[in-house]
Amino acid sequence: MLTEPTAVVPCAEAPDVGDDVRRELFRCVLVHRLVEERTMALYRQGRIPGSVYTGRGQEAVGAGAGLALGPDDVCAPLNRELSCHIARGVSVAHVFRNYLGRATGPTFGRDGNMHFGVPEKGVFPLVSMLGDLVPVTVGAALAFKRRRQPRVALTFFGDGAFNCGDVHEGLNLAGTLEVPAVFVAQSNRVAYSTFSEKAMRNTNLAQRIEGGYSIPCSRVDGTDALAVYRIVGAAVERARAGEGPQAVEALTVRLDGHAAHDDARYMDPALLQEYGTKRDPVERLAARMIADGTSADDVAALREAAIAEVAAGLAEAEQAPLPDPGDLLDGVYATRLRTGWP
Amino acid sequence: MGRAVSATSDVTYLEAIRAAMRDAMADDDRVFLIGEDVGHFGGPFGVTSGLFDEFGPERVIDSPISEEGFVGACFGAAWMGERPIAELQFADFVTCPFDQIVTVGAKTHWRSGIALPVVIRLPTGGGVRGGPFHASSPEGWFVGVAGLKVVCPGTVDDAYGLLRSAIEDDDPVLYFEHKGLYRRLKAPAPEPSLRVPLGRARVARLGSDVTVVTYGSGVTLALEVAEKLSGSISIEVVDLRTIWPIDAATVLESVARTSRVIVLQEAARSIGAANTIVSLIAREGFSLLDAPVRVVAPPDTPVPYGANLEDAYLPSAAGLEEALEHLLAY
Repeated sequence: MLTEPTAVVPCAEAPDVGDDVRRELFRCVLVHRLVEERTMALYRQGRIPGSVYTGRGQEAVGAGAGLALGPDDVCAPLNRELSCHIARGVSVAHVFRNYLGRATGPTFGRDGNMHFGVPEKGVFPLVSMLGDLVPVTVGAALAFKRRRQPRVALTFFGDGAFNCGDVHEGLNLAGTLEVPAVFVAQSNRVAYSTFSEKAMRNTNLAQRIEGGYSIPCSRVDGTDALAVYRIVGAAVERARAGEGPQAVEALTVRLDGHAAHDDARYMDPALLQEYGTKRDPVERLAARMIADGTSADDVAALREAAIAEVAAGLAEAEQAPLPDPGDLLDGVYATRLRTGWP
Repeated sequence: MGRAVSATSDVTYLEAIRAAMRDAMADDDRVFLIGEDVGHFGGPFGVTSGLFDEFGPERVIDSPISEEGFVGACFGAAWMGERPIAELQFADFVTCPFDQIVTVGAKTHWRSGIALPVVIRLPTGGGVRGGPFHASSPEGWFVGVAGLKVVCPGTVDDAYGLLRSAIEDDDPVLYFEHKGLYRRLKAPAPEPSLRVPLGRARVARLGSDVTVVTYGSGVTLALEVAEKLSGSISIEVVDLRTIWPIDAATVLESVARTSRVIVLQEAARSIGAANTIVSLIAREGFSLLDAPVRVVAPPDTPVPYGANLEDAYLPSAAGLEEALEHLLAY
């Protein structure tokens, strides 16, 4: 993995985050990393059609935020937050079934890559139109408020999507309706190939969210899973306690291109080098766990378990049936109308 | 069907819409209303008047000017089991939440199994000197969109019954209520039990010479012309009620009876439901026809503001009569 493991900056000290949570965070970030290594390989082999979007370098954000939620909370993760799905209990096999277009996958073979939700895990399906899920998340939180339920709805948006109107309509609506919603901004510095400083005058999203919408917004190192978990966890609990919408800006760097076809040649090599080694979210967490007393053997065993989990999930997904094109009209409507339309 | 007895209980089309919302909200606490100025003000046309007082700010929610925001929020709330009603101030403004409607609303159930029971109410149509941004009939943008249901009530009963059915339906429904009919149509108050099934057209008048297929404001116009010409022509009027998905069976049965068809709509001639109906008849009813299908609809321009321009633009009895004359000449 790393040429010089000693160069890794361990995650921040977090004595209040217990061993079980650390191990689960490690599983989520590592499974995320390993699944994406497989999907990239399968794409290049021509076994995954369409495209592959990865969140390499950003695994800690989805993992920390996903684990910070309670069992009855809901979320809407995006392309770079596979680890959030894993944290919510979505199986690796289910993820691969979506990439492989299988009938028993989360979208029945009708949508691909990271475009899926898992309703039974409280995960709403991603749509490509960035920002759309911000108002949707506000609406879910509005339902919780109306029902006096102590539940929270969480979604993500990138610094790229922060230029979309939906994000701003959603943030404003969340504030005016005072709903228990949590927004996690992934500031990974680039939208496809356009750098954030070229797309906005003020790249400090926390300042803009707080100043523009009066929604409390902390900044956190998005490559530090423990820090994300604690900061998002505090935001989730404030929202749950009735303090209205909350936000967190996680600072990261996207290490791969926008999608599999994009080699990210436009990125600064020094930045990629730093974030791919010293600030690698997986290795930072491993280093912190070892520094705090988890044995190297234990961490190695967690790695082996994650490798096995991903291999088993892929094998299971490859056995899943393909959808029948004859079923394509099923489910267009929840309640189908018999109109004789040819 | 479903009428109160006393003639003194006549209600307008607008009041029927309000009654449908009120009754649905009283019956089901999952139903709530959100839109701009729908609360204490009662909405720009007064459709929601009184609902805020009856149900309070948690059930009748004033939104910021933020159609993409509050329509999106309706989908999120529906995901969590609510049955929201969103009111747009004018149907023209559906351009703003278009993305939420066709991206989230239309595709979610098909690709995830999550049902999104949301009703979006859209005050539509001309005749109110609203001009290019307050008088459009944009329903055609949604005809053919898999996952959406589109209804256009043309009577007081349908205003009530289609809305109750739409609220109880598990899919996103666009409910185009015609502004010109709000206070013009009056009828005995519909019974609270009235439901008009989605996806089912109605033969509003039986005839044998020609079929006028229409919806929304076209229903009254077609019935008036049919009555006026009843001495010389027997006109059948098919009120689509739901313009997507379209009740193909009822349309084709009527064509089989009359062999001549006019499609009448208030939307500009190359959008709306008309071309879809013409396509249906060309594909499935060609052998039934004695004459080419005619479309009576405004020209392909935005809706003009000036009174003489708008009057010339909108479908009229004279225009429909002229089309009938051409058709019967075959």
